[in-house]
Amino acid sequence: MGLVDRGRLPKPLTSLFNLGRSYSLWVYQWGLACCAIEMGAAFGSPRYDVMRLGVIPLPASPRQADLVVISGTVTDKMAPAIKRLYEQMPEPKYVISMGSCANCGGPYWDSYSVTKGVDQIIPVDVYVPGCPPRPEALLEGIVLLQQRIKNEDMGARWRGEGTRPMSAVDGSSAEKGGVPVVVD
Amino acid sequence: MTMLGDRQQLSYIAAQAADARVNVELETEGMTLNIGPQHPATHGTLRIVARLDGEQVVWAEPVAGYMHRGYEKLTEVRTFPQVTALINRIDWLGSFANEVPFILAAEKLMGVEAPPRAQHIRTILFELSRIANVSLFLGDLGVQLGAVTPVFFAFRDREYVLNLIEAATGGRFHPNFDRIGGLKDDLPAGFIDETRTVMVKLRRFCDEIESLLFGNEIFQSRTRGVGVIPRDVALSYGLSGANLRASGVEWDLRRDQDLPMAWNKADWKVWTHPDGDSFARCWVRLQEVRESTKIVDQLLDTIPAGPVMTKVPKIIKVPEGEAWVSTENPLGEMGYYVVSKGDLGPFRVKIRSASFNNISIVPWVLRGVYVPDIITILASLYFILGDIDR
Amino acid sequence: MFPLSSTETTAEVRDDVRAAALAEVTGALGDAVRDSLLKPGDDIWVRVDATAWRTTVETLKSLGYGYFCFLSAIDWMPSPYGKGEDDPTEPAVERDMTIRQGYAGGESRFQVFARFVKPCETVGVTIKTDVPESMSVPSISAVFAGANWHERETHEMFGISFDGHPDLRNMYLPTDFEGHPLRKDFPLLARMVKPWPGIVDVEPLPGEDSNGEDDAS
Repeated sequence: MGLVDRGRLPKPLTSLFNLGRSYSLWVYQWGLACCAIEMGAAFGSPRYDVMRLGVIPLPASPRQADLVVISGTVTDKMAPAIKRLYEQMPEPKYVISMGSCANCGGPYWDSYSVTKGVDQIIPVDVYVPGCPPRPEALLEGIVLLQQRIKNEDMGARWRGEGTRPMSAVDGSSAEKGGVPVVVD
Repeated sequence: MTMLGDRQQLSYIAAQAADARVNVELETEGMTLNIGPQHPATHGTLRIVARLDGEQVVWAEPVAGYMHRGYEKLTEVRTFPQVTALINRIDWLGSFANEVPFILAAEKLMGVEAPPRAQHIRTILFELSRIANVSLFLGDLGVQLGAVTPVFFAFRDREYVLNLIEAATGGRFHPNFDRIGGLKDDLPAGFIDETRTVMVKLRRFCDEIESLLFGNEIFQSRTRGVGVIPRDVALSYGLSGANLRASGVEWDLRRDQDLPMAWNKADWKVWTHPDGDSFARCWVRLQEVRESTKIVDQLLDTIPAGPVMTKVPKIIKVPEGEAWVSTENPLGEMGYYVVSKGDLGPFRVKIRSASFNNISIVPWVLRGVYVPDIITILASLYFILGDIDR
Repeated sequence: MFPLSSTETTAEVRDDVRAAALAEVTGALGDAVRDSLLKPGDDIWVRVDATAWRTTVETLKSLGYGYFCFLSAIDWMPSPYGKGEDDPTEPAVERDMTIRQGYAGGESRFQVFARFVKPCETVGVTIKTDVPESMSVPSISAVFAGANWHERETHEMFGISFDGHPDLRNMYLPTDFEGHPLRKDFPLLARMVKPWPGIVDVEPLPGEDSNGEDDAS
């Protein structure tokens, strides 16, 4: 993919790649606390069935994953492990922060051992609020992330200019690159 | 005192002699295996550091604390009604069961008692959360052994129970429904009929799991005689719940303790197993889900009429004193030692969670087992990380 | 069912099982007992001398209290920060800092307490001991193996050391964590930086006196 490496990619080709990427997301499940069970219900149960969205929740290692779902309370003792996991993932990589604890500390906002938000350690693309969020909310977060991936300028990412949308005319807030999205 | 069975005794001796035997027979180089802190097989963030000799564990130590959220400190800066919102999240699979002992302790200090209808509904919701909790264990058990199918069954049927809890309390996971002096609300219309049909489904789920897993030859050979815990060791480590009953101790706090709950109004059985191995622990839990469905069925028939909330002040101040209340939660004995100084909030709350004691036996029980058995033994001991670390 | 909670034990409520258990325990412990309390239908508290802590536990085990429930500690000093709800811009609030111990009395700021139960009979006893100035109490992990982790936790949370414990490593917190979180003078910094917004919860409702005696009917 020499074109991609040089940061020049024709727009139709980018759209094609993005379509492919958004519907073959390999998700690494970083289950920490209560939210891990709701994530398990979203990913592993026949009722919610995440695979119909083109998401594969079974990579063997973070090195094979495109997306990580941080679900649950992040403690100061756990934070280095999360940082390390994120660094192991290959680019392009995305992060969904699931639940109030991972978003901002949640009910443990005044605790001495809880990190107040996973975004202090790694960049977050989509925040899913709730304590814990229903499985449907996590699925919506994934759909929002897919919309963003579909509209991403891969060339800019390769040139090191960060995440940005292909065109500036798009109205939907979910498609704006660089800014985190919150499921409402 | 029950005597150890022959098979139990033999497997216990074999497990304890294993590391010595290996060292004599073969000169091997030791290896340290680190599992976790995040590993699918530890269903949570428990980290196990094991020193191996070939395929056998010489020494193993769990490293906890990756989920330590400081509950005991946080309760000191919350008021009594606020504490229930926190302690829901200790054992996140059976949330309602976490609230009950704390509320009972506060009621004991205040000298109030919930009306009979509230006690009855509390017991029903308590048993529903036990079913929601342990049914996921039964599914997860398959995953730990390499069989993926049971977990789909568990998630499918668990949803019915969660729907019931949601209908009654408004929360799928963390109801925060129990109040000092009763319950927040009465049961919704249609709850009783719906619960009856769900209990039938859950009993069918138990049958399915039994025929899928417990009758399976591979399952049996991987769990029988593995991770044997004799009765005395279990008691001295403070094991509780199904882990203790699987070692032959017939002790259930629901039956043997005088609490203002409705368990004694139903006819049910405390299951024990003499073997004390992984299979026994799993089997006792399976029977407990069945018993819970029976308890719920019987209690649905006899819900007394009346209010669900007794008269309590709007601003709750708990008189000075100390109280200890523990109940038989899905994971084992869960208790709160509440110290009040007559303030709006507790002065000190010691949370005695079941998994903390249940997992403290791991260094003892993992000595001499094979590496794949680490996972099955951990799965059969059944812990929830929030319940260990709090 | 629960009797009404009151600090004095009333004569009307009798609890022969627990009274017999208390007599048995205090009789076996002899001089080590400093104080004891029986609340009928509720529980037994016995306070023993710190030097006799281990022999107390051994005696309890021989009396049939074979189930180890928990071990922990209490810091009886009231928190100098209250609930952390003070406005940091205001001058510091004066607080009553007198140390009042709970059931079965006490002489020191820290107390270690543990609970043992007779399995199947569900008769339990809570034993307490005063922690001396040296902040050190004999370890009971050789008597009840389950106490090992509880003593590690207590050491980490209160800074109380246990003589004879094999390994008092941190249970929960990273090794470089400073302070003992469950001591009352350990501040929760997140609450210190701004006034607690939930303070409005304890304001009296309109048309109601502030002592909260009104019934919720």
